[in-house]
Amino acid sequence: MNLHRLASAAVILLLAAACGQAPQSTAGNTPAPDRKLKIALSNSFIGNQWRVEMENVFKAACAMPPYLAQVECSIYNAGNDVSTQSRQIANLISQGVDGIVINAASTSGLNGVVQQACDRGIVVVSFDNTVDAACGLTVNTDQIAFGKQLAQFIVDQLGGKGNVVMVTGVAGTGADNDRNKGAKEVFAANPGITVVATYSGMWDSATAQRATSAQLPALPQVDGVWVSGGTDGVIKAFGAAKRPMPVFGGEAENGFRKYMAGILTPKVTGMSIGQPPYLSVISLELARAVIKKEHPRESITIPFPVVTSESLKPGETVFPDLPDSFFADFTDSGPDAALILCQEAATDGTPCPGKTLTVNLGTS
Amino acid sequence: MRDLAGRLGYLVLAATAVAYLAVYATGLGRLPTAFDYLSILNTTLPLVFVAIGQSLVVLTGGIDLSVGGTVSLCVAVTAVAVTGFEQLPLVLAIGTACGVVNGLIVAAGRIAPILATLATLPIFTGAALWVLPVPGGSIPPQIRAVLTNPDLPTGLIWLGLAVAGWLVLRRTRFGMRVYAIGSDAGAARAVGVPVERVTFGVYALSGLCCALAAVFYVSTTTAGDANAGAPFILTSIAAVVVGGVAFTGGRGSAVGAVAGAAALALVIDVLFFAGIDPLYQALFQGLFLVVAVMLGSLAMLLRRAT
Repeated sequence: MNLHRLASAAVILLLAAACGQAPQSTAGNTPAPDRKLKIALSNSFIGNQWRVEMENVFKAACAMPPYLAQVECSIYNAGNDVSTQSRQIANLISQGVDGIVINAASTSGLNGVVQQACDRGIVVVSFDNTVDAACGLTVNTDQIAFGKQLAQFIVDQLGGKGNVVMVTGVAGTGADNDRNKGAKEVFAANPGITVVATYSGMWDSATAQRATSAQLPALPQVDGVWVSGGTDGVIKAFGAAKRPMPVFGGEAENGFRKYMAGILTPKVTGMSIGQPPYLSVISLELARAVIKKEHPRESITIPFPVVTSESLKPGETVFPDLPDSFFADFTDSGPDAALILCQEAATDGTPCPGKTLTVNLGTS
Repeated sequence: MRDLAGRLGYLVLAATAVAYLAVYATGLGRLPTAFDYLSILNTTLPLVFVAIGQSLVVLTGGIDLSVGGTVSLCVAVTAVAVTGFEQLPLVLAIGTACGVVNGLIVAAGRIAPILATLATLPIFTGAALWVLPVPGGSIPPQIRAVLTNPDLPTGLIWLGLAVAGWLVLRRTRFGMRVYAIGSDAGAARAVGVPVERVTFGVYALSGLCCALAAVFYVSTTTAGDANAGAPFILTSIAAVVVGGVAFTGGRGSAVGAVAGAAALALVIDVLFFAGIDPLYQALFQGLFLVVAVMLGSLAMLLRRAT
């Protein structure tokens, strides 16, 4: 058997196919109103709770009206590998999709292929870890405001005086930089506040708990704790060390909110803000609305869902029967909510029974 | 059957190419277009270069884990400093310098390659973060037009040059010595092969290949990222293995590794158009690797049996 010949035959076959096919534009024409739109989610890695919830709510939204009838969704994970994600997006272009929703493996690495998608008239919306390419739209939150708002809450609770600890996230990422910057600005502007320790919890409850347990013996009285992620771990470390509970400003872990609501003891005074997993659904809606020409071709920044110990509502913003590591902000709440999703949408990706999904893109 | 091991890469590439055409045609009802071939070519080129360098190292019985760091550093430098063709030699020099450091540690320091390059990997990655702390930078359009033109298959020229370069290299004295060292370093030394000098050269060349890969990477993505190199560590080793290069050294060829790299890229597309659930895509990529490696071992056994 001559393998060279076999390989050459395959190559010739590929080339023949290449020559026989004139390059053709696969998209760019406005779809007929009765045709289902094809919108794909291209995610990078799927290794943590947040990403799983983010894909689940996307799946659930696609299975609910009005998306059920209007949009044909598909989901692809690439891992943290830019070339795999590039290939997947290139294949989506070949498939002739109408819109691509992206959580990128690298903010800069997909610029080339995203530009190619835009050139073919595909609407590209990126969120969370967004794409730099100027032709794409983005849906995101203001991370500096995240840091500021939590810090301001702590300052207000302490009456502008006391010792504060900062538990930061994964160094070298844009979100970590921005959150820390916002917090430091607020603490620096209040001379009564002393930041007695700053260390990384890696946005992970177990890591934050270990790091806090290691730091606590060396720390003076702590009045407030600012946490970029892993808040329930930090609370557990304070509890284990039999320290009085300080005021907490932290992420949207369900465990943290259980402490805030008094479902877990001791009850903690705090404010909880998170990067909401439903950014994927907002991006889906933006892509759909832009393709249908119902929304201007503009990026949007959405407000953070914020709760305090007083405003928590079991079943809406804290979930007693879900695990501590779950992100409780898979749904927005209140009268101006961007969208309302049910628990099973986030846990299983199944549609909320008998509900039509309304996504409010805000006034932008 | 005798040379099946050496030709494993071509066999696997042919099989994945046929599978790609089949799933593409069934999925979309037409054959791939120029856009598809061009984008496969351009996104695969960086891995092709890293795999050529890696195969040289593996042929001597070594391994280069630091390719991830070298690619990252060169990507960072390319994205930050390259404003025209005249800066490209700088990038190539930096990549080669990284390889030279590895070569010195392995050849002169007599440290096991896996340890030496495991140690230099974070050093090069750290340097990349220092050069480019947040993803960004750019590539001049004139470089992009020549290297990885999104509308013309200029990449084919560079692929052809890389393969031709290897075919020339393997016929030189240096190339033959690489095989001699990989087969039996002791015997090679006994017949007068300067083992240290050749080993040193192999790592330096691997660094140069990483630099080339980095330039093509930035040219394709149009920007840099200090973490860009990390995936290449495993994919370059996988390409070498699928390409039929023996891990014990001395057997295989860089062209096989190029075929392996192309096959790995096509597998992603096959899984995509086959509609495999995204959660299980990594599993299937792994299975593909296992099957390819098992084919290689089987071929090796058959070779011994005959």
